[in-house]
Amino acid sequence: MATLTPADTHAHDDHHGNYITCSKGIMSWLITLDHKRIGVMYVIATLASFLLGGLFALGIRTELIAPGETIMDAETYNRFFTLHGAIMTFLVIIPAIPGALGNFVLPIMLGAKDVAFPRLNLGSFYLWIIGAALTVYSMLQGGIDTGWTFYTPYSIEEGRQGVFWVGMGVFILGFSSIFTGLNFIVTVQRLRPPGMTWFKLPLFLWALYATAIIQVLATPVLGITMLLLAAERIMGIGIFDPALGGDPVLFQHFFWFYSHPAVYIMILPAMGIISELISVHCRREIFGYKMIAFSSVAIAFFSFLVWGHHMFTSGQSPLMNAIFSAITFSVAIPSAVKVFNWILTMYKGSISFTTPMLYALSFLVIFAIGGLTGLPLAVLSTDVQLHDTYFVVAHFHYVMMGSTLIAMIGGLHHWWPKITGRMYNERLGQIGAWIVFIGFNLTFFTQFMLGTKGMPRRYHDYQTGLGWSAETTELFHTYHFISTMGSYVMAVGFFLTAFYLLQSLVNGRKAPANPWGGASLEWECSSPPPHHNFDETPTPEYCYKFDHWVWNDEEQGYVRRDTAKS
Amino acid sequence: MTLTTLLLLASDQPGPIDTGNGFWFVPAATEYADTHDWVYSIVLWLSVFFFILIVGAIVKFAFDYRRRSNLEAAGSGPTHNIVLETVWTVVPLLLSAGLFLIGIDTYADFKTAPANCYEVDATAQKWVWQFDHRNGASDSLVLKVPVGRPTKVTLRSNDVLHSFFIPAFRVKQDVVPGRYGSVWFTPREPGIYQGHCTEYCGTGHSKMNFYVQAIPADEFDEVIAKDARWIDDYSGDRLVWAGARLFSRCASCHSLKAGERMTGPSMWDLHANWGKKKKVEVDGKLTEVTIDENYLLESIVAPWEKIVPTYLNQMPANFGDQLGPKELDALVRFVRQLDEVVDANGEIRDEPENATN
Repeated sequence: MATLTPADTHAHDDHHGNYITCSKGIMSWLITLDHKRIGVMYVIATLASFLLGGLFALGIRTELIAPGETIMDAETYNRFFTLHGAIMTFLVIIPAIPGALGNFVLPIMLGAKDVAFPRLNLGSFYLWIIGAALTVYSMLQGGIDTGWTFYTPYSIEEGRQGVFWVGMGVFILGFSSIFTGLNFIVTVQRLRPPGMTWFKLPLFLWALYATAIIQVLATPVLGITMLLLAAERIMGIGIFDPALGGDPVLFQHFFWFYSHPAVYIMILPAMGIISELISVHCRREIFGYKMIAFSSVAIAFFSFLVWGHHMFTSGQSPLMNAIFSAITFSVAIPSAVKVFNWILTMYKGSISFTTPMLYALSFLVIFAIGGLTGLPLAVLSTDVQLHDTYFVVAHFHYVMMGSTLIAMIGGLHHWWPKITGRMYNERLGQIGAWIVFIGFNLTFFTQFMLGTKGMPRRYHDYQTGLGWSAETTELFHTYHFISTMGSYVMAVGFFLTAFYLLQSLVNGRKAPANPWGGASLEWECSSPPPHHNFDETPTPEYCYKFDHWVWNDEEQGYVRRDTAKS
Repeated sequence: MTLTTLLLLASDQPGPIDTGNGFWFVPAATEYADTHDWVYSIVLWLSVFFFILIVGAIVKFAFDYRRRSNLEAAGSGPTHNIVLETVWTVVPLLLSAGLFLIGIDTYADFKTAPANCYEVDATAQKWVWQFDHRNGASDSLVLKVPVGRPTKVTLRSNDVLHSFFIPAFRVKQDVVPGRYGSVWFTPREPGIYQGHCTEYCGTGHSKMNFYVQAIPADEFDEVIAKDARWIDDYSGDRLVWAGARLFSRCASCHSLKAGERMTGPSMWDLHANWGKKKKVEVDGKLTEVTIDENYLLESIVAPWEKIVPTYLNQMPANFGDQLGPKELDALVRFVRQLDEVVDANGEIRDEPENATN
């Protein structure tokens, strides 16, 4: 099975120490082929992007705190929400879980020494860096005020050079995503050690595998779209621009044909993390393993067939709208099934309210709201009313931010001891999780009300005047004010989290090999793991049986029952 | 005088815009809107039920099965239950199917305009609407429609994507360049309703709002007939007040306050410097021009010719086609004599009674 073992690529490295101490110097990181180091670099890079995108978000919220121009004019505001959206989507939530956490834990959970193609893996990371650099460069070029969706013909008007550069950036980021997906597919297919059957795979790996399939199949469409945009712009071929005989709605089809599956590139790995967090921190075998695994694959399949639900008001034919509405409901089923499975996993568990578990519970509540508010958006007549209002903004933040990013941060806490070898301050972690949860709901739940009352999205202002009555402005002012306050609360939570995580690197307690009592393979190796992950090929067991790990006070962690007795 | 009061004066019927006390939508103003709200409340209460079920189970399990000691044995509960799993797959499936059917049923109502609608055209461009009635009456701020008779609005865009949205009617339709779109609605009561552009269209997107005024059917024809020849009531010195009315289609990009920067330059600043020289860019080169009637007229009909430094060349090029000579004259007079019409806050003053009116 292990025909592609990349062990020879590590031949020049030392054998002693863990993956952090085994070689030194900045170059040993920058040209590393070790999936763990690449994962750590992704963690740093995506969190830095998260900070940048978050600062744009705070700018947006501050502008909206009161009617009228508060801190920036309309042009600046439009750039802020465009960059917030583009950075958060393409630089943070798409790569964060597969690139950062996936890279670090996938091979270890699988029982492999590395991913199948370590050089390609490093290549993916540098493609990400180039794409990110182009995106940041585009900010200096100006004219990035199109929204992250780049809808034509607005985005192809003259004077928007920046759009070209951000398009190039997205094109290159797409390849980064494709290569990561390809690498994961081959790794899971080919590098499973003897005994690691498909139904012994941790559910996070099922989720990453399903994600990888979408990444490989859907992302090329994004590249094609960007090339068509470039062809239209440079050669003047009419594709999307009605002035040249093109059709702007065609662009929306292309865009969402990628970007809807991309929504599942974002949420599926998050669901995988939640399966791990809940079973481990409840120390209880996951309920309905096969249902969860198959529902990941089902979601991946359906994700290709629902893109048209972003376009119910675009003027596409009512028949198409009806078909897309029907298929959209079908995605709701596997998602609902997963939620029920996670909840039943808590039943008769031994639930510990550690920080990762609090994030997992946050996820369940937020994802429930995010999923249920998807229903009125799938029902055709109510979508017409809610489309392009704050209701949609709130809905996708509940799913993308409240679910994906919360799961990502939960996962980061779960594997933090493994990645860094240090324990963070548990008490601060729990406080941070609560602050983020409260801030998040304050920020975004009010936006559901704004949306149903008719506040359109991407509005710089809601001052009384042209088409805005004084009553409306007053009502929206209240909602916007609460929402902005919520965003500040959330920011406090995130900065607190950044503080204690960094602090743990300086003076955190040394982490035991298995602080939570997890039974998947990464908890078998030391924290941090050795350079080669495993000294001998591990013998995989079903990773959702926790009986053979027992608490040990001396270790302040869990040890195998057989070693504990001896 | 605010625009709302302008509207209130224009009709003796409507009161202030009602945002409603309800938690969710503004009050429904059409029968379709009632149907829509009924569908929404089905989805809402179903969601509330499932949310309580989910959160209730989480809270109960979290409390009942909390870990009391690190030494306690790993949890042990059922790992699958075929009956339960079938139920929670099939029940949501059936409920979804029901929601889907209700959704397309009401959507069909939304899509199917009744016969004998009152027909009106709406044209969107950055960042202003224009509503053209078949008798030639035209307005860029208020869409006047009859009460109790269905209105069908045919939508068109001159530049980029826009979207036509009237929350109180629960209707929305993207306005796509190169395609016609349409929406229909039948307001039940006389009144004023808000309308917005809901597809992002650039700098002035959030200024691209409008009002819908529903007028009792027996007065409607008369009002529209009068609107078609409104400018006939203005002549001579009073033309400046016609300019004030026409300015509504400029107001999403040009301020009347001193020094206020919007998408385009402030008209007050232009007025205050009337007769003086000013620097503008012609083909990218700085040159001087005198602020006078000709400069202003050219800037309306050929706005790309002379660009004020620090502003972008983004004013629509078609106002010259949309406005007749008398209307252009009225706008030029309006800016030239701005201080007669506008107070220090940039608000347009009350129009004096007209003897001929």
